[in-house]
Amino acid sequence: MIANGTVSGGQGGTAGGASRSLVLTPLEDLKGFLSLHLGRFALFLLACSSVLLVFLIFVFVVQEAVPFFAKFSTVEFLANARWYPEADPPEFGALSLIVGSLYVTITSLILAVPVGILAAVFLSDMVSLRTRDLVKPVVEILAAIPSVAYGFFAVLVLAPAMQSRWGFSTGTNILNASIVLSIMALPTIISVAEDSISAVGRDLREASYSLGATRFETILRVVMPAAHSGIIAAVILGMMRAIGETMVVWMASGNAARIPSPWWDLSQSVRTMTATIAGDMGETPKDSSHYWSLFAIGVVLLMMTFMLNIVSEYFLAAAKRRTGKV
Amino acid sequence: MRLLIRRITDKFFTVLTSASVILLAAALLVVLGPMLLRGAGAVVFDGTVEFRRMQLDLFNRGEADSIEDEVSRAAACRKVVYETIDKFKHGIDVEELSNEAKRIYRLFGRQLRYEGVTGDEYRRVRSLARELRNRLLEAFGSNDRALIERNVDRVLRYRGHRDFADSAASGFFTLAEDFLTSVESIDLNKRRQYADSLRQAEEIIFRLLGPRPDDALPALAMERYGATRWDMAQQLLDDLLWSKQWVEAEPGRPMVKVRTSRAGQFAGTGLEGLFKYVEDNLETMLRPRFTFYWQYLIDDSTPGHYFGGVGPEVLGTLLITLLSMVLVFPLGVVSAAYLVECASDTAAVRIIRMCINTLAGVPSIVFGLFGLAFFVLFLIPLFGGPSKPCILTACLTLAVLTLPVMIRASEEAIRSVPQTYKEASLGLGAGRFVTFVKVTLPAALPGILTGAILSLSRVAGETAPVLFTGAVALGPPPDSLFDPTRTLSYGSYDIAVGDRLAMMVPHKQYGMVVTLVLLILCLNGIAIVLRARIFRKLKGQ
Amino acid sequence: MQKGDNDMLISALESKASKDSITSSVSLGAKASLGNGNKTPDCSCRVIKSENFSFFYGRNAGVKGITMEVYPCSVTAIIGPSGCGKSTFLRSINRINDLIPHTRTEGRLLVNGHNVYDKNTNLVNLRRQVGIVFQKPNPFPKSIFDNIAYGPRLHGVRNRSQLQQIVENSLRAAALWDEVKDDLKKSALSLSGGQQQRVCIARALATEPGILLMDEPCSALDPIATGKIEDLIDRLQSDYTIVIVTHNMQQAARVSRRTAFFCLGRLVEYDLTAKIFRNPGKKQTEDYVTGRFG
Repeated sequence: MIANGTVSGGQGGTAGGASRSLVLTPLEDLKGFLSLHLGRFALFLLACSSVLLVFLIFVFVVQEAVPFFAKFSTVEFLANARWYPEADPPEFGALSLIVGSLYVTITSLILAVPVGILAAVFLSDMVSLRTRDLVKPVVEILAAIPSVAYGFFAVLVLAPAMQSRWGFSTGTNILNASIVLSIMALPTIISVAEDSISAVGRDLREASYSLGATRFETILRVVMPAAHSGIIAAVILGMMRAIGETMVVWMASGNAARIPSPWWDLSQSVRTMTATIAGDMGETPKDSSHYWSLFAIGVVLLMMTFMLNIVSEYFLAAAKRRTGKV
Repeated sequence: MRLLIRRITDKFFTVLTSASVILLAAALLVVLGPMLLRGAGAVVFDGTVEFRRMQLDLFNRGEADSIEDEVSRAAACRKVVYETIDKFKHGIDVEELSNEAKRIYRLFGRQLRYEGVTGDEYRRVRSLARELRNRLLEAFGSNDRALIERNVDRVLRYRGHRDFADSAASGFFTLAEDFLTSVESIDLNKRRQYADSLRQAEEIIFRLLGPRPDDALPALAMERYGATRWDMAQQLLDDLLWSKQWVEAEPGRPMVKVRTSRAGQFAGTGLEGLFKYVEDNLETMLRPRFTFYWQYLIDDSTPGHYFGGVGPEVLGTLLITLLSMVLVFPLGVVSAAYLVECASDTAAVRIIRMCINTLAGVPSIVFGLFGLAFFVLFLIPLFGGPSKPCILTACLTLAVLTLPVMIRASEEAIRSVPQTYKEASLGLGAGRFVTFVKVTLPAALPGILTGAILSLSRVAGETAPVLFTGAVALGPPPDSLFDPTRTLSYGSYDIAVGDRLAMMVPHKQYGMVVTLVLLILCLNGIAIVLRARIFRKLKGQ
Repeated sequence: MQKGDNDMLISALESKASKDSITSSVSLGAKASLGNGNKTPDCSCRVIKSENFSFFYGRNAGVKGITMEVYPCSVTAIIGPSGCGKSTFLRSINRINDLIPHTRTEGRLLVNGHNVYDKNTNLVNLRRQVGIVFQKPNPFPKSIFDNIAYGPRLHGVRNRSQLQQIVENSLRAAALWDEVKDDLKKSALSLSGGQQQRVCIARALATEPGILLMDEPCSALDPIATGKIEDLIDRLQSDYTIVIVTHNMQQAARVSRRTAFFCLGRLVEYDLTAKIFRNPGKKQTEDYVTGRFG
C-alpha cells in the first residue's frame, strides 16, 4: 500500500528544470509585463464604452437642439405655456409640458411614497422570511410588467371606468396617469427603501426594543432616521422613473398642452414632455423648427434626470457611509 | 393609559403596513387580471363556421370538405332569414321595387325585340307594359291604401293576357302580388321608418352572417365573413334585438341610453317574427364550437388586425431583443470584469461608475432621440447605409439602453464568486487572466445569465426607444437588418389607441398586449428559477 | 493546562517517534512517480529560508524579522495564538498574499535559493513548486477530475491518458482514490468536508510541488476526517517539505518534526517539536504550550 501510495515529489532544479526555473527570463518578464498592461488597457478601453456613450448621448441630443436655441429664445421656451408648434407663427412655450410632467410625477409620488415606504417597512420588519419570499414576487412582477401594458390598462380599463362610473368628463387625465405611474414607481421605491431599512442592522433595533419601545416607535424613531438617506434616495429614484416614463403618459394623460386651472383639478388633461416627444416626432419633418424643439425638450429632460441622478447618488453614498454597508 | 395609546398606535401601524401590501397585491390583480382574462379570449374561444371559413380561405387551414358541409347545413337555416327580409322589402323598399319594375319593363322590351315583334304591334304591347309599369310605380310610391289596391287590381287583371303570358312581364304580377300581401299588414305611413330600421337590421345581419351566398364578394377581407366568434355574435344579436338610442331624459342632464325592442318596431308585419327566429336559430346558423387558436401567435393579421394573429409582431420582438442582447452581452461582461478585477479606486474608475449610473437614469424616450440622431442619421450613413430606421438601429439603441443593467448584474455575479476560488487557482500557478476565464467566469455565469435574461425581458417591453428607430405598426415582414419591423410593444400601443378597427375586436387588442406580458413574465420566471438554483448550489457548499 | 493535557502531548510525541522510524525505513523503497519515471527525491533542493523577513499590511506589521530555515522532506509546524502572523508568513512563501492590496515586505524569503519577493520571480513556476491547501476546503465547482487536472492542464499537459494517470496518482497520494474512483465526474462539492479537503490536497499534489503549505487544514473538519488527514501528512512527509500552520498543539505534536512558535508577529522559538513541547527554551513558549495564555 505504501508503495502505491507514496509519490516522488518531483524534481528539484535539473530534469525539466529549465521550464521550472523560479527566475523569469527577461523575455518572459517583458511578455508578462506587456500582456498584463496591454490587457488591462484593453479592458479599460472597453469599460470606457459607457463613458463614450454618455458623451455621445449628450453631444448628439444637444447638437440637434442647438438650432432651436439659436433661433428661438430660451427664456420664452421655458416660461411660455403656449405650445403650438404647427401654428403660423409657431409658438414653442414648453412650460405647459414641463408643468404637465411635474403634475403627473408629483401626484404619482404622493400616491406611491406612503404606500411604498409602508410596504418596505412591512417587508423588512413585520414579517418572517417566508412571508417576505411570498410578497417579493408580487413586487418583482409589478416591476417586470412593461410600460405599454400599464398604458393599455390605463386607456382601456381605467379611463372608461373613470368616465362611466365616476363621472369624469374625460377618462385620460392627470389622475389616471398618476395612478398608473404610481403603480409603476412602487417597485423601485420599495426595493431601494427596503434595502436601506434592512441595512440598518439588528443592533439598533435591539437596543430600542430592550428599552421598552413598541415596534412602531422603534421604526419611527430609530430605524427610519437611521435609514433616511436611503429612503430619500428611493423616493428620488421613483421620481426619476415617473418623470422619464413615456408610454403610460402618452396614452393616459390626455395630451392637452395646457396648465390645469384650477390648479388642484386633477381631472383635467395635460401633456408631458415625454409624450410630446413621442407623439410629435412621427409627424415632424426632419430639420424643421418643430423637430429641433423636440430635441430641446429632450435636453430639458436629460438635464432634469441628470440632476436627480446626482442627488440620488449623494444620498445613496450617505446611506452607505452611515451604515458601513452597501 | 399612555401605554394603551402606544399599543393601539402600534397595532394600527401594523394594520397600515399590511394594508399597503394588500393594496400592492390588489393593484397587481387589477392590472393583470382583466388583461389576462380578456387576452386569453384571443386564443381560447367559441369559433363559428365563419371563423373556420376564414381560416380556410386566408390561412389554408382546416378541411375544405367538412367546412363546406357545415356551410351548406347552416345555409338552409339562413335562407329563411333572407327570404323573410326580401319579402318584407317588397312591401316597403320603394326604391328597390321601382327599380325592379323598371327592370322588368326593360327586359320585356328586349324580349319583344328578340322575338322579332316590330312596328305597331311592338309599340302597342310596349305601351301596355308601360302602363302596367307606371301603375305599379304609382302604387309603390303612394301611402294611400285604396289607391294601391286599385292599381294593383288593375295590373293583376292583365295576368292572363295573351301578350304577357310566358314573358318577362309576368314579373310584374308577382311583384304586384307580393307587394299587396306585404302591404296588407303594415302601416303605410311608417314606411320610411321601416326602411331605416330594416337597413340597420340588415347591416347587423350582414355582420352576423356575412354576405349572402349569391352576392358578389366584398373587397375588404373583414366584410367577407360574418361573426367569427360566438361572443361577438351574441353581442350582434343583442344589437339586432334591441335598438339603442341616446335620449335626453331630463333637460340639462347627461343623456341616457334607451333600449327599444326592434321586434316591437315591426309589430304586425311579416318581419316581426324574424328576430325571434334569429335568436332561436343563431346556433344552427353559426355552429359555434370550442376553438383553441394557438396559431394566433404565428399568424399574420389582416389589415386593422381584424382577423389573424400577432405572428409578425412576435417575430419582430424576438429578433430585436435577441440581437440587442448579442450586442450588449460581451460588452457588459467585459466592463464588469474590468470593474471587479482590474479597477482600483482612481478618478478614471469613479468616472466610469458615474457614467454607468448616468446611463441607467436616462429616460427611454431620450434614448429614442439619441438613437435617431446618432444611429439613424449619423452612424449608418457614415458606413454607407440608408438613413432610415431599421432593425439594426433599433437593436443598437436598445443595447445602449440595457448596457448599465447588464454591467450591474454581471458585476454582482462576478463579485459574488468566493475569493477562495481565486486563491486556490492562483495557488496552483494560474495567472490572473487564466483564473478569471477558467474559474471565476464559469462560476459567475449563472448569475450573469440571470442578468442577461432580465435585460432581455426589459428590452422586449421597451417601446419608446424603438418608436423612431425601427418599429412600425404595419408593414411586410423584414427582409434584412436594414428594414423596420413590427413589434409587440409598439403594436400594443398602436392597437390600443390608433387603430379604430381594432376597437371592434377587443380580444385582438388584449391578445397582443397579453402575449407581450406573458413573454416577459416567462423570461422573468426563467431568471427566478435560475437564481434559485444558483442559490441552492452555493448553499450546498 | 492540566497535567492530563501535558500527558496527551507527550504520548502524542511518543507515538509519532515510533511511527517515524517505521516510515523512514520503508520510504527508501521503490516508489511510483508522477509521470517522469522512477526518481528518488532530491531533498536538498526544497529548502525554505527566511532572512529577517517582515510583511506589512499598510503600516501594521503582520510578521517582523523572521529568520528561520525549514528543513526538507519533513513536517514543520507553526503554532501560536490568534493574530500572531502564522498564516501571513505561510502565505508569503508562495506569494498568495499578493491578492491583498497595499502590502509591502522587507528582508528576504528564499525558496530553493531564490528570493521569492524578487522583481523577476516567475510566479507561475513558484506556485507550481509550492502547493498550498487552505483552511476551508475550496474545491472548484467542477468535477473531481477537472479539479485535480486543473493544475496539470494549466502547465501544458493535454494528453488524456496522461491526465488520467496524474489524477489517479494524486488521488492515491491523498488517500482518496478508493472512495471516489467510481465516479470522477461527480461534482467535487457533493463530497463531505473531509473528502473535499483531500481533493484540495490531491489538487495541490497534481502539479508535482516540492513544498506543500497547509494553512490550518483540519480546523473546519471533524475529528475522524482530521485523523485521516494527519495520517496523510505523515505519509507525505518523506517526499515533500510540508509546512503546516495549526491552532491545535496536539496536532502539531503529532505530525511535525520541528515546530516554530510565533507570537505577535515575531518568531519566538524554533526547534525540534519534542524539545518545544517537553522542554521549551523561552518562558513565552512554555506559557503558551502549557496553556497559561493564548
